Amino acid sequence: MAKHETPLLDQLESGPWPSFVTDLKRQAETKPECWDILGQLELSYKERITHWKHGGIVGVFGYGGGIVGRYSDLPKRFPGVEHFHTVRVAQPASKYYSSKNLRQLMDLWEKYGSGMTNFHGSTGDIILLGTRTENLEPFFWDLTHDMGQDLGGSGSNLRTPANCIGQSRCEWSCYDTEECCHSLTLKYQDEIHRPAFPYKFKFKFSGCPNDCVAAIARSDIAVIGTWRDEIRIDQAAVKEYIAGNYPSNGGAHSGRDWGKFSIEKEVVDLCPTQCMWMEGGELKIDNTECTRCMHCINVMPRALRPGVDTGASICVGAKAPILDGAQFATLIVPFMKMSADNEFEELVEFIEKVWDWWMEIGKNRERVGETMQRLGLPHFLKVMEIEPIPQHVKEPRSNPYVFWREEEVEGGFERNVEEFRARHAA
Amino acid sequence: MALSKDELKAAILEKAEKSPKAQLYIKDFYACDPETKPRDMKNVANDLVKEGKLMFWSSGSTTMYALKSRIKNEEGAEGI
Ligand code: HEM
Ligand code: HEM
Ligand code: SF4
Ligand code: SF4
Repeated sequence: MAKHETPLLDQLESGPWPSFVTDLKRQAETKPECWDILGQLELSYKERITHWKHGGIVGVFGYGGGIVGRYSDLPKRFPGVEHFHTVRVAQPASKYYSSKNLRQLMDLWEKYGSGMTNFHGSTGDIILLGTRTENLEPFFWDLTHDMGQDLGGSGSNLRTPANCIGQSRCEWSCYDTEECCHSLTLKYQDEIHRPAFPYKFKFKFSGCPNDCVAAIARSDIAVIGTWRDEIRIDQAAVKEYIAGNYPSNGGAHSGRDWGKFSIEKEVVDLCPTQCMWMEGGELKIDNTECTRCMHCINVMPRALRPGVDTGASICVGAKAPILDGAQFATLIVPFMKMSADNEFEELVEFIEKVWDWWMEIGKNRERVGETMQRLGLPHFLKVMEIEPIPQHVKEPRSNPYVFWREEEVEGGFERNVEEFRARHAA
Repeated sequence: MALSKDELKAAILEKAEKSPKAQLYIKDFYACDPETKPRDMKNVANDLVKEGKLMFWSSGSTTMYALKSRIKNEEGAEGI
C-alpha cells in the first residue's frame, strides 16, 4: 500500500517506456524506505526544490572516498531517507561479472541498503543508492572480506579507472587495456581511496579509436589505442564487400534495407581526411594522411584491420560541464608504446608528471583540463617537457604575438645597460 | 630545509585548529611548508586521518580535511 499520494510521479508511469516510479513501488513492497523516496520526490516536484542534502560523511575508516553522504532535509516527514548514502563499488575490469558475484552483491545490498542500484555510474563503477551511516562499516567488511571486492573512488580522489573489453574479446584492441587498467588500479590504491588532488581525476583506457569507454570525453587522462604503421588490407575481402557477399558493419545495420552496398558512398567518400581511393579494382589508402578514425575498419571489418605497430595516444583534460563548459581531452602524445613487461613505465612517468604539476598549480575544484586552459597548451607542454608538434595544433593562431623564452634567443636577454646608455641617454 | 614529518604534522594540526574555516582543502596545508612537495604533504595529512587526528569531510565531489572537534554533527556542513 502506498504510503504517500504521488499523482505527479504516477503520471510518469503512463508512457510506453519502463518507469523508475514503477520500479521504486515494486521495491517498496520489500524495502519500505522506498516509499519515502517517492514521497520526497513528489514534494520536490510540487515545490520545485530538492530536499536532499549532499556531503558530510566520506567513507569507512581510513578511506576518504567510495561513499557519498546524502541526507533528507525533512527527516521527520520522510524517515526512510533520513540517511540515504551512495556507495561506489569498484566494477571488475571490462565489467565481466560472474552471476555468482552479482548475486552476492545483491544479497549484500538487500541486507545493508535500500536495494536500489545504478549499473553503472558515468565513472564506470557500481552505484548502490541508499543506506544508513551505521550500515557502512558492516557493508564494507563483508564486501572486502567475503567477496574480495573494494569500494571505488569519489571526492578529490583518483576515480575508479575503467577500460573497454580490449584484447579479451575485441580484435581491434591495440594494447592490453585490461592489464593496463588493472595494474594501474593496484599501483594507485592510495590515490583511489584517499584524497590526493585539487579535484577529481579520472583515467580511462580504450583499445582503439572507437573509444568504447568514451575516454576522450570523460577522463582527465585518456589512453586510446592506435597504430603507427599501415591499415592492413585484404583486397579479396574488399571485393566480397563490393559484391555484396559480406554484410557491411558486421551486419549491425541489417534490420532495414539500405540498398546495395557502395564502397564509394559508404567508405571512400566518408573518410574524413579523404585519403582513400579505388584504383584498378583495389582499395588504396594514403596512411600518412589517415587519422585512424576507424570508420573504414568499422564498415569492412573482414577486409581492413588496424596495423601491427600498435600503442596508444594520450589525451589530457576532458570534463563534463559542471564548472566551465564541457570539453574533450587534448591530444598530447600521439603515440606511446604500451607494454605490461615494463609495467607501463612510460605512461606511469607521464601520469605522475601531470599530477606533480596539477597538485601544485591547480586551484581548488579545478580539473586538470581547466588548469591547462587557464595557463595555455604551450605552458603545459613545457611542463611535460614535450616538444610542440603539428598534431598539437587545433586551429590557426588567434594570438598575434610570438613570445620568446630567453634560451631561444641568441645571446639571451642580458645586456650591458651602461654600454647602451653611453649611446642612448635615458 | 623542509620540515620533518613530525613538524609537518604539528603545523597541519595547528592550521586545522586556528583556521577560520573548519574544513580545509589539501592546498590550504601547502602553506605550512612551501618546501614540501604536494604529494608528500597529502601523505602526511592522510596519515593524520589514519591516526584519527583529522577527519575527511566531503561535499560529494570534493574532499576536505577537518578536526573532528570542529565538526558539529556528521553532516557537518558549514555552508559549503
Ligand atoms: C537537485 C538535486 C541534485 C543535484 C543538483 C545533483 C547534482 C549532482 C552532480 C553535480 C553530480 C556530479 C558530482 C561529481 O561527480 O562531481 C552528481 C552526482 C551524483 N548524484 Fe546527484 N544531484 C542531485 C540529487 C541526487 C540524488 C537525490 C541522488 C540519489 C539519491 C543523487 C545521486 C548521485 C550519484 C550517485 C552521483 C554520482 C553519479 C556518477 O558518478 O555516475 N543525486 N549529482
Ligand atoms: C623598442 C622600441 C619600440 C617599441 C617597443 C615601440 C612600441 C610601440 C607600440 C606598442 C606602439 C603602439 C602600437 C599601436 O597601438 O598601434 C607604438 C606606436 C608608435 N611608435 Fe613605437 N615603439 C618603439 C620604438 C619606436 C621608435 C624608435 C619610434 C620613432 C622613431 C616609434 C614611433 C612610434 C609611432 C609614431 C607610433 C604610433 C603609430 C601609430 O599610431 O600609427 N616607436 N610603438
Ligand atoms: S574501444 Fe576499440 S578495442 Fe576497445 S572494445 Fe571498443 S572497438 Fe574494441
Ligand atoms: S581510418 Fe578513417 S581516416 Fe583512416 S583511412 Fe579509414 S576512414 Fe580514412
